[in-house]
Amino acid sequence: MTWLSNSITGLGLLFLAHACYSAHEHSALHSTSTASISSIVSHGTSAPTVASLPLDISLETIVAVFTVCLGLVLGTPELRPIQWRVWAGKIEREGEKGFMNGDGQTDKDYVGNPFKVLESRPGFIDIRKQRKEFAEWVREGGGTSAAPKS
Amino acid sequence: MSSSLLHPPAHLSPSVALQLSQLAPSLLRNAPSSITSYSLSSLWAPAESPELWTTYENLMLSCLRTGDEQSAHLCLERLTERFGAENERVMALRGLFQEATAQDDAALKQVLGEYETILAKDPGNMPVSKRRIVVLKSLNKTIEAITALNQFLDASPTDAEAWAELADLYVSQGMYPQGIFALEEVLLITPNAWNIHARLGEVLYMAASTNDSGSDKYLAESMRRFCRSIELCDDYLRGYYGLKLTTGRLITNPPQASRQSKSDTGLPPPDIKTVERLNEAATSKLAEIIRRNASGEAGWQGYDEAEIIAAKELLDRQSAPIIR
Repeated sequence: MTWLSNSITGLGLLFLAHACYSAHEHSALHSTSTASISSIVSHGTSAPTVASLPLDISLETIVAVFTVCLGLVLGTPELRPIQWRVWAGKIEREGEKGFMNGDGQTDKDYVGNPFKVLESRPGFIDIRKQRKEFAEWVREGGGTSAAPKS
Repeated sequence: MSSSLLHPPAHLSPSVALQLSQLAPSLLRNAPSSITSYSLSSLWAPAESPELWTTYENLMLSCLRTGDEQSAHLCLERLTERFGAENERVMALRGLFQEATAQDDAALKQVLGEYETILAKDPGNMPVSKRRIVVLKSLNKTIEAITALNQFLDASPTDAEAWAELADLYVSQGMYPQGIFALEEVLLITPNAWNIHARLGEVLYMAASTNDSGSDKYLAESMRRFCRSIELCDDYLRGYYGLKLTTGRLITNPPQASRQSKSDTGLPPPDIKTVERLNEAATSKLAEIIRRNASGEAGWQGYDEAEIIAAKELLDRQSAPIIR
C-alpha cells in the first residue's frame, strides 16, 4: 500500500512541478511578446494586458494538488481506535502484536493495559517471593525445557 | 525486546525475566554509564533519555529476580551516580537490593530498621514507606502491614496502587467487605480500569461463595461488575469468564425475593430472563474466543494461554450435563 501512495504522491508532485514550469515559461514568453508589441505600438493605449494563464495550466495545477493530497491520505498509517472499549479490546485480543509498526517493532508508546500496574504493583514488589518462585521454576527445569518465547 | 524493558517487569513470566537478565551484561557494557551535563563530551555523547534510566531500573528488578546480583548492583550504582543517594526512588531501590540479598529474617529485620530510620527523618518518603509495608508483609506480619498501609492511605488517599495492594491484603485475610471497599476506592480513582472491575467482580464472587447471608446481593453485584468490565473492553476473556460463572450460579440458585430488600438501598436482584440471556451471550463469546485463538487467527493471539485453557474447561464443565 505504501508504494501505491508514494507513487501517487510522486506523480502529483511531478504534475505540480510541470505546471509551475509551464506557468513560468508562459509568463516569460508573454512578457517578451507584449514588450516587443508595445515597443512597436509605442503610442497606443497603454492598458496593461492582464497576463492570464491558459486554462490547461490552471487545471493541471489543481489536479496535481489533489493528486498529492490523495497520495498523502492513502499513505497514512492505520488509524488507532478512538473508542475506549475497542481500544481496550484490541489490547486484550492482540497483545503486543497489535501495535507493531511497519518494521516489526512494537510502537514506542505502547504500554499494553495501562491499568495492569494496579495488579502487578511495581511499588509493592515482593522481591523475595519472586526470587523464590524463580528458583523453584529453575529447579523444575523450566530453564532448560521450556524454550523461551520471544 | 527493549520495549519490554521499559515496563515494570513484575508480571513477566520466569522465562522472559531470565531472558531479560541475560541481556544485562551486554546492555550494561553498551549503555552509557553516566551522563554528565555541561561538559565538553556532552557535545558528541548521545542525548540523555528517560528511557535509559527506566531501563536500568527494570533491568535491576529482573536481575534481582533471577539472582544476578552483580548486574543489579551495577545498575543501582549507576542510578545512584546519576540521581544521588538521597533520591527517594534510589533509596527504595537500594532497600530493594538489600531485601533481595538478605539471607534470613534477621537481616530482613535490619533492613526494616533502616527503613524506619529513613522514615523517621522524612515521613513523606513514599517509595520507602511502600517498601516498609512490603517487608512487613514478607515477614508474615500481615496485620501490621495492613495498619501501615492504612496510615499510608490516610496520608495519600489518591494512590490507586496502594488501595489495590490493601485490597489484596484484605482478601488474603478473608476480609472481603474491606477488600471490596478498597477496590471500590481504586475504581473511584481509575474508573475505566477494566481489569479492576473484573477483579472486584472476582472478589465479590469469592465473598458470595463464603458468605451465606448476603450472598445473593454479592452475586448480583459481581455480575454487574463483570458486565461493566466487558462494557469497557471488547472480547475481555476474564470478564466473560466471570460473567459465565456468576450467571451460572444465579440460574442454579436464583435469589429469593428477600423480605429485608425494602430496607436495602441497593439495586433490585436481576431479572432471571436477563441473567439467562447474559449467560448465553457469555457462553457464545467464550466459545468464539477459544475457537479463534485455537485456529491461530491473526489478531486473537494476545490472550494468556492459561486463561484460554481455564475458559475451555469451564465451558466443558457446564456443557457436560446437557449432553448426558
